[in-house]
This record gives sequence, C-alpha cells and structure tokens, in this order.
Amino acid sequence: MDSGVDDETLLFAVAERDMGAFRVLYDRHAGWLAIRLARRCNDPDLVADAIQDTFVAVWQRPQGFRGDGDIAAWLWGIAIRRLVSRLRTRSSIAVFEHAGTAPAAEDQVLLSVEYGDIGQALARLSPEMRAVIQAVVLDGLSAREAARLLNVPVSSVKTRLYRAKARLRAVLAEEPS
Amino acid sequence: MTGWHLDDDIVRRYAEGTDSLTEGASIEQHLLSCGPCRARVNAAASVTELSVIDLAAVWDRTRDTIEVPRPSGFERLLRAAGLPAHEARLVAVASAFRSAWLTGVAAILAFATLAAAVGHAHGLWLFLAVAPIMPCLVVASSYDPWLDPALAPELVTPYPALRLVLLRTIAVLALALPVVLVLGLAIPGQTAFAWLLPAVGFVAVVLAASTWFSPLRSAIAVSSAWLAVVWLLAARSGSPDTMLQTRAQVGFLVLAVASFVIFLVRRQRLRQLRPWR
Repeated sequence: MDSGVDDETLLFAVAERDMGAFRVLYDRHAGWLAIRLARRCNDPDLVADAIQDTFVAVWQRPQGFRGDGDIAAWLWGIAIRRLVSRLRTRSSIAVFEHAGTAPAAEDQVLLSVEYGDIGQALARLSPEMRAVIQAVVLDGLSAREAARLLNVPVSSVKTRLYRAKARLRAVLAEEPS
Repeated sequence: MTGWHLDDDIVRRYAEGTDSLTEGASIEQHLLSCGPCRARVNAAASVTELSVIDLAAVWDRTRDTIEVPRPSGFERLLRAAGLPAHEARLVAVASAFRSAWLTGVAAILAFATLAAAVGHAHGLWLFLAVAPIMPCLVVASSYDPWLDPALAPELVTPYPALRLVLLRTIAVLALALPVVLVLGLAIPGQTAFAWLLPAVGFVAVVLAASTWFSPLRSAIAVSSAWLAVVWLLAARSGSPDTMLQTRAQVGFLVLAVASFVIFLVRRQRLRQLRPWR
C-alpha cells in the first residue's frame, strides 16, 4: 500500500492531475480518517459520504494545503468539516457515541505521558461536557460546527465548554502534580 | 515523537471505539504526526471486523465524481435559482448556451446598438430590425434537435418536452433581455424599448409554430417576415416612430398572447418532435 513516496510529493502530483498518486493518497489516508470520523458519527453512510467529499475536495483544490504542518492534519481538518456539513444537509441525527468508561490502569500510565493529570480530570467530566471538549478543543471545531456535530444548540456548546473548562481548572488546582 | 507508539491492542481498541476518551485523544494527537502509526490504524480499516465503511466503494464513487466535468457557470446559476441538478443540466446543455453562440449574438446586438446610437434613422431601423428577432432565434436554437443533438435521446425519455422547451425559453429570455435592455439604454429616445413586445411576441409565435414545423424553420420564417416588414416601413414612412404607436404595440401584445395560447393548446404535438429536419 505504501510506496515510500511522502505525502507532499503525492499532493504535488495530484495537483498535476496524477490519478495514480491520488489513489495512493486515498489508500494511505481514507482508512484512518474513516475510523476517526466513525468515532464521532454512528451512521456509516454519512462517514462514507464525508470521506468521498473530502477526497473530491482534495482533488479539486490540492493547493489548499499551504505547506505548513502535516498533510494528515490538513486532511483531518477537511474531513471533520465535511462530516459537519453533511450533517447540515441531512435530517438524520448522528449521535456522538463514545464508551465513556474510565481509563484502565495501564492507560493511565500512557495518559500521564501524553497529558499528565488532564487525562484523569477529563475522565471525571460528564459525557456531554467531554463531548464538547473533544469537539472544540481536540478536533478544533468552532462552536457552531460542534453544535452541528453534537446536534445541540450553539448556546449549549458554549455553556458546556465554559463549565467544562471551569471544572478542569478546579480539578487540576485541587490535585497539584 | 516521544518514542511512544501504538501497539496492536491500542489500535484494535481505537478502531472498535472501546477505548476511553482520554486514550482516544492521545492516540489521535499522536496519529497526526506519526506516519507509521497512522499506517497501522489505516491498515486496521481494511480488516473486515474493524472496517467502518467500504473503502473500495467510496473510492469508486470519488473517482466517478471527479471524472464528471464540473458544471458550467450557467448550469450552476440555474441550480442556484432552484432548479434540480438534472433539469439544470438538461437546460444548460443546449448549444444556444455555449459561450461562442452567446458572444456572437451579443456582438450582433452591440453592432446594431452602435449603429443606432451613431447613425440615427438608418441605424435605428437596423436596431429595430435585428433586436426583436434575436431572442426568438436563440430560443429556437435552444431546442431545435438539428442544432442540439443532445436533445434527441432526452426526448425519447419520458421527460415532458413542454417543460423542457419552456424552461429553455425562460432561460434564454432571462439571459438575453437584460443584455439587450442595457444595450438599448445607449440609444436616444424611447425607441430602445419599442422592440421588447415584438421580441416576446416572436418568441411566442416560434413556440406556437414549432408545434407544426421545426423550431429553427419557424424562427427563420418569422425573422424573414419581420425583416421584410421593417424594410417596407422604412422605405415608405422613413420614421421609426411608427413602432412606438400604441396600436402597433398592442398588436404585438395580442400576437404574443394568442400565439402562446395556441402553443399551449397544441403542446401535445411537441412530443412528436421525431420527424423534424
């Protein structure tokens, strides 16, 4: 599947209308993008549509990548927004599904490497607040996009985000690392 | 990055969605910057029990989408006006809407306008002769099967011919009238608007006549008749004001309404377009 060529070279070839390079780019990224989108939307058809929209957009405007950062991050930015706009045009309700279980013991070690105490603090938030934190802070969506993704009013996103941040601050302050 | 990478268990939990939010967040942050780990999650997407969508099918759809030529500006305009995609394609596909055609028509009109603005009486007659017949010629060419081979298979399908012809007529008028109106502003006096009713009248006559003859033949016949009338009038009275008289304008209005009624009454005949040519 991987031909050893880096993503930027592939994207450059796509800009030159190279269908072979486009196929390699698709094979290299569509899978993980689909898995990541599916964690945010439980309707596989919508995820498939969003993946299709994403790569159509890449084909039509490969120059949208300005050369800053990783192409994977750029693709994810397109994909999550395509998912959100698909949700806008359909009336079907996508549910933000997540197994909101507390991390197992071995994951705690892993988390402290990546996030320190924030991991535990996040785990203590309500599922709604965690969903908002994930959409806004981790996925980088705007409040409006997050509201569409989570199917709640924009105002709820804002208040939940505000409360979640306050909770995190409080939790982190009472448990100094 | 940190020397930390995803092992098979983590990849599986992530793909199944059975990990915790915080673990997922760590993984996703890591994936964006670590190619090898991304490749492992990507590979998991092709494993049957972990796959979320049919990646091969989505690839086929993606390729089909990008290989279809992008709709023309005019077609996108029609869609923006609320026409469904397939109808916008049907209307816009007419050869009358190719930019070469439209440029030619606009050039002829611009020339007639220039002549009218500069050359007074003779120029005005030229404008009055040319401007009213332009819309009906473009309308006729927009649904004449001889000029528009794409129409042939479409009319075999059960798509209502009347709707198609009317949609294209409206599209032509919506495109042509503003252009001619703007050009007409360059002409002194009220003559600029004298051609409007005749133009609409001739379009209606062509629509009605095309239930008997081919649209292009109808349009050519109407245009020839009009040119003859203008030539006779110009030779006899010499003043273009004749056209502005209420009687003449009402006459054109009656012509327009009557022809349109005939067209609607005989619209069934439009379905039998086959033997045209």
